[in-house]
Amino acid sequence: MNVATDMRDLSIAGLSVSGGAGPIVRDVTLSVRPGQPLTLLGESGSGKSLVAQAVMGSLPPGLTASGHIRLAGTDLLAAPAAVRRKGWGRTISLLPQEPWLALDPTMRIAGQVAEVHRFVHGRSAQESRLRAEENLAEVGLDRAGTLYPFQMSGGMCQRAAIAITHASDSALLIADEPTKGLDAALRDGVVERLKQEIAAGRLVFTITHDVAVAGALGGMIGVMLDGRLVDYGPAEEVLSAPTHPYTKALLAADPATWQRRVPTQAGAPVVTGRALAKAYGGRSLFEGLDIEVSAGEIVAVVGPSGCGKTTLGNILLGLAPAGSGTVERQGGVPPVRFQKLYQDPPAAFAPHQTIRRALADLVGLHGLSWGKAEALIARLRLGEHLLDRRPGEISGGELQRFALARGLLLDPVFLFADEATSRLDPVSQKEVVELLLEIVRDTGLAVLLVTHDGALADKIADRAVLLDRPAAWVSRRACDALTTGLAPCF
Amino acid sequence: MRRFLLARLAQAGLVALVVGTLSFALMRALPGDAAMRIAAGRYGPDAMTGQAADKVRLELGLDRPWPAQFLDWLETLARLDLGHSLVTGAPVIEELKVQLGASLWLAAAALLISLAIGPVAGVLAGLRPTGWADRLGLAASVSLRAVPPFVLGLVLILVFAIWLGWLPPAGFGTARDLVLPALTLALGLAAVSSRVTRDAVAAVARAPHFAFARHKGLPEAVVVRRHGLRNAAIPVVSYLGLQAIYLVEGVVVVESLFAYPGIGHALVHAIVERDIPMVQGTALAMGLIFVAVTACVDAASAWLDPRLRSAR
Amino acid sequence: MSTGLDVLTASRPRAVTARGAGAALIAALAAFTILGPLVIEVDPAAQDLSASLAPVGGDYLLGADHYGRSLLARLAHGARLSFGMAFLTMLTAAVPGILLGLVAAWRGGLAERAFELLANIVLALPGLMLVLLLLAFAPGHFGPLYLGLALTLWVEFYRVTRATTTSLLKEPHVEAAKLLGFGPAYILRCHVLPVIAPLIATLAAFAMATAIIAISTLSAISVGLQPPTPELGSMIVELLPYYAEAPLHVLAPAVLIVLLVLGLQLVARGEGR
Repeated sequence: MNVATDMRDLSIAGLSVSGGAGPIVRDVTLSVRPGQPLTLLGESGSGKSLVAQAVMGSLPPGLTASGHIRLAGTDLLAAPAAVRRKGWGRTISLLPQEPWLALDPTMRIAGQVAEVHRFVHGRSAQESRLRAEENLAEVGLDRAGTLYPFQMSGGMCQRAAIAITHASDSALLIADEPTKGLDAALRDGVVERLKQEIAAGRLVFTITHDVAVAGALGGMIGVMLDGRLVDYGPAEEVLSAPTHPYTKALLAADPATWQRRVPTQAGAPVVTGRALAKAYGGRSLFEGLDIEVSAGEIVAVVGPSGCGKTTLGNILLGLAPAGSGTVERQGGVPPVRFQKLYQDPPAAFAPHQTIRRALADLVGLHGLSWGKAEALIARLRLGEHLLDRRPGEISGGELQRFALARGLLLDPVFLFADEATSRLDPVSQKEVVELLLEIVRDTGLAVLLVTHDGALADKIADRAVLLDRPAAWVSRRACDALTTGLAPCF
Repeated sequence: MRRFLLARLAQAGLVALVVGTLSFALMRALPGDAAMRIAAGRYGPDAMTGQAADKVRLELGLDRPWPAQFLDWLETLARLDLGHSLVTGAPVIEELKVQLGASLWLAAAALLISLAIGPVAGVLAGLRPTGWADRLGLAASVSLRAVPPFVLGLVLILVFAIWLGWLPPAGFGTARDLVLPALTLALGLAAVSSRVTRDAVAAVARAPHFAFARHKGLPEAVVVRRHGLRNAAIPVVSYLGLQAIYLVEGVVVVESLFAYPGIGHALVHAIVERDIPMVQGTALAMGLIFVAVTACVDAASAWLDPRLRSAR
Repeated sequence: MSTGLDVLTASRPRAVTARGAGAALIAALAAFTILGPLVIEVDPAAQDLSASLAPVGGDYLLGADHYGRSLLARLAHGARLSFGMAFLTMLTAAVPGILLGLVAAWRGGLAERAFELLANIVLALPGLMLVLLLLAFAPGHFGPLYLGLALTLWVEFYRVTRATTTSLLKEPHVEAAKLLGFGPAYILRCHVLPVIAPLIATLAAFAMATAIIAISTLSAISVGLQPPTPELGSMIVELLPYYAEAPLHVLAPAVLIVLLVLGLQLVARGEGR
């Protein structure tokens, strides 16, 4: 029995990947068994994708792998490239990241599934077509065969990619960042599908930066940092009792593990929207929506992408007109004290200006003192040396803190944080959120937090507005809203 | 699809309007009596008398205010009545028929030769970006594009017609006469289309969907045939629309240079001789052919790219 | 699996050298066109029939043409004419093109639609056709040639400015600047101009190359500038009958045109196609 099981394993021993400048991945040892999937966690640049590429045999030119990778008893690294390529689609298949880019934009979906049967497995055209229909039906796309990728949603593209791996019917499935670019609802759907693959006896090897995905898949978890495997063990052990400091920081950065913020005594209303409605492209985003944000309060707006969260924030800021309804802002407060934080920090700064120039111009425009800027920079734990860089030369977390400093220079009463941490790595996200909470506590800033991350909203918001697709909205205490039956909207 | 066609129809209308308006303005701007000029064109300079001119003036309403004449002019144009040449007296449409045929042969030959050179060189370069074929192609393309077509034509005449004596320097009638002018145009076209093809091929080779096709396990030939060709052809074909501009402009220059009796040559002659009906007729014909070529390119692009088909 | 090595970085040094070579070429040619006519104190129209088709390197440094006119002087004046006219044409096209593009992007509405219609009218015909039709009013004259070229070339400046500015104005950093209290002048200076300036510079070099080709071509097919004006295109055609006796004389103006255009294209492209 033991031998038979071993024959089906993927085992990686002492794997290193080297480029011209020396090793990038060092001494990685892992294994995947049927029923025991493996998930590699790490940031971009940690080397986790290179491990997957070494297994697949698709390392970029100039990189070489050494060590052993055994699949079903044969050492893959010992085989020549041409032989390894013969294994693609037969013994190993890949679930690509961002499948809406990985599908051929000019071919109908059914054809992209059928060609695996036809050209990889050598079946007749007729049989390939029938089997492709089956594969699509398995993932609930039975009527989508005639669509082109650009006519499908991100979730549908993801399912089509899974149908293609079904057509391969390979022993090993490598999923490369399968939830990248998907919102929470679709993310859970993908995890469900991967669990079905595991239950069906396939070897599943997943690469992700999302702790929640790793936890949901179970099996073994490996944590990569700077090309090394720093933690490795059964999912429950790694997640409940991490040994390496990086793993601890990574887990502590997951909003699901945070302490819930104690609601503060709210002050006077700063922004009030009444009976707001907005339609986009003939589709109603929301109707009759009431929202109020008071000083010292954090109000979350939660919902899937495309539900109108950002539009709602822009209406409250006066950047977009409401379809109907009224917006009332605290009287006597100048417009510049209503500020916004953006999702993509580099896009929120003029690309050709140094940070120093941007801040100095702002200080000059409003007749402030540079000392105030310096104090804020120190408070947000930013180094002076970063000031002379351009936005593209600073990490996302630091740049978002500069954006916060820029807004705080004008003593805002209201801040619209538009998915302000969703593009940051988990550790940076935690830093930015902690600083924001500190400022809310100290200055009585009112925050409108737009996010697709229910856990984040749950932990830090006083109240939440849930925007669901069919123009429904609910407002109540965050913890109630987010733990009751409204979950499908995530 | 329908939107594309409507846009091209509108463009054709604009072409007629621009050409018609400029020709009318030209008629009014020329010194001397327009009626006399037309009468001379119609009846020959010898038979032209004051009476004949008066007759023409009355018939064409040349004594009316200019806005009325302008509307008349456009209406005549809308009926595709292009009038008579002021120089030969022959109906413009008859002259156009002959010249257009000659020019179409030239343009078609140029396009065919350029397609045999440009995309082939582009694919070779694009498969190995920064390889030797790419470097060679870039150098050739950059140098060729710095050479104006008339200089290129002169160089080809000097080399092939005069020094080597392989081909006639000018003339019309046989396929040999077509080679040098067509080659002049084709080299200019290929200089650009080779780089467009190179970029398209390199982009597809880098595209995630191309990598995924390999990872699916498809054999290389199938990957290229099913996921490479069509995707790489999309930008190349849509660029042909821009090349139509070069082709039309080049026909004027090259025909004049090689004394090739086509429509471009006729246009330049008509301008020098102030033969306004011929200027209008030739410019209109070339403009409309330009629009027709662009419309064909639109249709080919839509056939290749489903994203364009569905965009309404 | 995105951890690929960026193949494109390999071509960047080549782009820099191409740009540098182009700039050096243009600088050398500019010096020739500006200083040449000053240093060479020979009238380009002065005939000396005894020196007809004088060879290169004799009394005349670059020889003389069939009328015995100094080829060096004629080349210097011809290059100055091409370069100067191309520069003037480019400016005449660029200034309104950029301004209208900015207005269209900023204001939108009726102004934008009017400019679009104007651009579509110009683009309905290939550029050279429009220039030819305008030249029909006064063949051989500078005015219609200049006007026609500027009229066809402004569209590209307009379109690029409008498209880039429209998408820039939708960027978060412009919205952020407005929220922070900055006015249109600041946004134009610090957010829009730094992005469009390099594009405009590229277009300007291309426009000048196009103008130089068009001027010489139209003169060569005898609807542009006419002899005895020392124009490079018409010089080639004038000297062509003597290609057997003096092949270098025919080649010289052609080489000058090619170098001018090559320099401008290298500056503009630097890399890519």
